[in-house]
Amino acid sequence: MISIRNVSLTYPNGVRALDNVTLEIAKGDFLFLVGSSGTGKSSLLRLLYHDAIPSHGEIVVDGIRVDKLRGARVASLRRHLGVIFQDFKLLNDKTVWENVAFAMHVTGAHTREIERQVPRTLDLVGLAHKSRMFPSELSGGEQQRTAIARAIVNNPKLLLCDEPTGNLDPENTTEIMDLLLRINTKGTTVVVATHNQSVVDRMRKRVVRLEDGRIFTDEERGFYYLGLGQGQVLSG
Amino acid sequence: MKSGVFIILDWGKVKFFLGEVGRNFTRNAGMQATAIGTVAVTVVLLGLFLFVRLTLAGVGDRLLKQIEISVYFHTNATPAQENHLRAVLRADQRVASFTFVPKAEGLKQLRRQTQGSIDVSMLTQNPLPDKFRVRVSDPSQVSAVAEELRAEPGVANVIYGKTIVGRLLQLGVVLRRVSIALIVALLFVAAIIISNTIRLTVFARRREIAIMQLVGATATYVRMPFVCEGLLHGLLGSLVALVILGIGKAALWAKLALALPWLELNATHVAMLPIALQLLLVGIAIGGLSSWFSIGRYLRT
Repeated sequence: MISIRNVSLTYPNGVRALDNVTLEIAKGDFLFLVGSSGTGKSSLLRLLYHDAIPSHGEIVVDGIRVDKLRGARVASLRRHLGVIFQDFKLLNDKTVWENVAFAMHVTGAHTREIERQVPRTLDLVGLAHKSRMFPSELSGGEQQRTAIARAIVNNPKLLLCDEPTGNLDPENTTEIMDLLLRINTKGTTVVVATHNQSVVDRMRKRVVRLEDGRIFTDEERGFYYLGLGQGQVLSG
Repeated sequence: MKSGVFIILDWGKVKFFLGEVGRNFTRNAGMQATAIGTVAVTVVLLGLFLFVRLTLAGVGDRLLKQIEISVYFHTNATPAQENHLRAVLRADQRVASFTFVPKAEGLKQLRRQTQGSIDVSMLTQNPLPDKFRVRVSDPSQVSAVAEELRAEPGVANVIYGKTIVGRLLQLGVVLRRVSIALIVALLFVAAIIISNTIRLTVFARRREIAIMQLVGATATYVRMPFVCEGLLHGLLGSLVALVILGIGKAALWAKLALALPWLELNATHVAMLPIALQLLLVGIAIGGLSSWFSIGRYLRT
């Protein structure tokens, strides 16, 4: 699904965000990207939806060389993957329904299709009853579920999540992670950048740890800290 | 993954698009008024300017059309030489009309013109030569025609308003250059002001633009509502301007013509409808183009 080969990313201000990163992610995988702030988690995600272009190396997503895309092809790529953020990035003057439908309008979808797909997606995220509300009238968890609905309404093969629970309380965090898991079991590849230890440790999925822009560890059914379960303390 | 953008229009989509344009348009009344006002002021200035230019050019043309070349023969010129010149004039495409004034006729005219001031009855013989009065269809050809006629046999002198013709022709050239420069400057300033206004609305909505691009909107898709907004500014602004110009003309033109009778201001030779349409198009173009360019830098991909 995703193939990142020898990728380095240096920002125009000289900061080296990623340093020779190689990573394969299989179709249907659920993967956590962990690491302290500023170690390149967000940068790695940004490369995948062409919000940044690597200074070196190549990136293939679903058979497409993402690092070579320009113009309308970037738009086309983004229609086939969903992205959610810590700050939701919803349009505040549009209702829940409109925010989700917006992502379909952009693709040129037929109105009939929009009217069929949006309620179905809102149902999936459990917001069918709040479709006429505005983001400001929703809780943080509901706003994030709206963002997820928008991200998956076009049935993407890949869902990228940048600190999706960073602004949420534990209860909402659990709800959101359950939702992501459900989306994953339907066949969508999910990549979650987070530093929420309890989430990572509870779910026991593949964990890739970045340190200083390099891959530090990569383990199946991993923990937030290498080899350590929740409750254990890393000493030294 | 399929690349390329296929958009099939249906009523729901048109409604969505118009809704977007309408929402943006009504969101910030002050900004919209500024943009529309700028277009209106520009188009009013442009209209006034075009009108003044056309009127001046009309006056100049009329003066030039009245310029006559007088071709005087030697007093001993033969009828054959006069007939030869008549044939030359008839054959020359540049000559619009000519009349032959024999010396007896010339004397009568002189008598009429100078009635009282010079006593021509004292003359024992007619001192005037025969002459041709020649009008040329294209004023810029006056000098050339006059100089050629001077070389014809039997011709003693050719007189025409040489300096006047030169000055009027020069005036026309200067007028044209100045007006092109002014129009360009005016449009440039207007485009800058309007694109700044639109840049403010774009800046206010940069978050929305970023989100649109995030969910896969193409640059064209993001741009369209803004360009439509710009076109709307242009359309409304130039309509306002046309109303102002129309009222101004109705109220002031007659008074102006009365105040400056010597200019023979005559608006009828200026076709108003084409000018109005031109101004409308210019206004719409300024609005559309300046918004097209002002959104460009927010569309990096």
